[in-house]
Amino acid sequence: MKRDLRLERVYPQAPERVWRALTDRRALASWLMETDFEPRLGHRFTFRAKPQPGWDGVTYCEVTELDPPRRLAYTWRGGSGEGQPLTLDTIVRFTLTPEGAGTRLVLEHLGFSGVKSIFVSVFMKAGWRKKLRTTLGAVIAGLKDVPTASAPPTS
Amino acid sequence: MPRTAHATRAAGRRPTRDTVFRALGDPTRRAILDRLRHRDRGVNELCEPFDMSQPAISQHLKVLVDAGLVVATQRGRERIYQLRPAPLRAAYDWLGHFEEFWTAGLDRLGAYLDAEPDAVPPGPGRKR
Repeated sequence: MKRDLRLERVYPQAPERVWRALTDRRALASWLMETDFEPRLGHRFTFRAKPQPGWDGVTYCEVTELDPPRRLAYTWRGGSGEGQPLTLDTIVRFTLTPEGAGTRLVLEHLGFSGVKSIFVSVFMKAGWRKKLRTTLGAVIAGLKDVPTASAPPTS
Repeated sequence: MPRTAHATRAAGRRPTRDTVFRALGDPTRRAILDRLRHRDRGVNELCEPFDMSQPAISQHLKVLVDAGLVVATQRGRERIYQLRPAPLRAAYDWLGHFEEFWTAGLDRLGAYLDAEPDAVPPGPGRKR
């Protein structure tokens, strides 16, 4: 199951200006996060947010597509800290097309299926051919809240 | 035989997405979860397939309990571990998390663009 995020906006500013806001460090710091981004294919950089419990606040990125002022993509990886397993390995892609004098911006955050693969590795192994326990099956298929029979009452 | 629930200490607090992912990040812990899929098991039984000491397995079980993926129940003298898959939902919340994150981000981008002084004068055909 592939799970991607796609958002679309139209801005009155021309693609060149939107592009600049996507590729200028100061602009990025203003609307997104502090970063050492450079518009250069293969450039590795980070976004830094306020650390939270269990997350060091760092997103690790690498520019994978650069076609000004049309397309920009970078990897978007997150972990719980140095030496910890990556918990998120995704790609963010911006596509700009002229819309009148303005710009249609499509933001895609791709590859949440990579996260899914964790579940595949846990549950889709050989032993998994047996019938799923109902609760687990429901979780995997629909991710509904499925209290088990012996679940303690939740407050 | 009624079960005592005093050992279900993860039930009262909400495990974070990170603790769930961290718990899933280890192959031994995933193997433990896999074994618990079939039925509840005691710690000795869980140790069997692994070339690991019981304290080491207990440590892994603690991580799983903290993540809310497993609950421990005292049954007589034995501690029985039971799979609790609901926290796996947290993983799927990533998408919702980022939808909020980027929606707010694109709003801020729009505000930034509106506030930014025009470095380049807008073209004659520019619409407002």
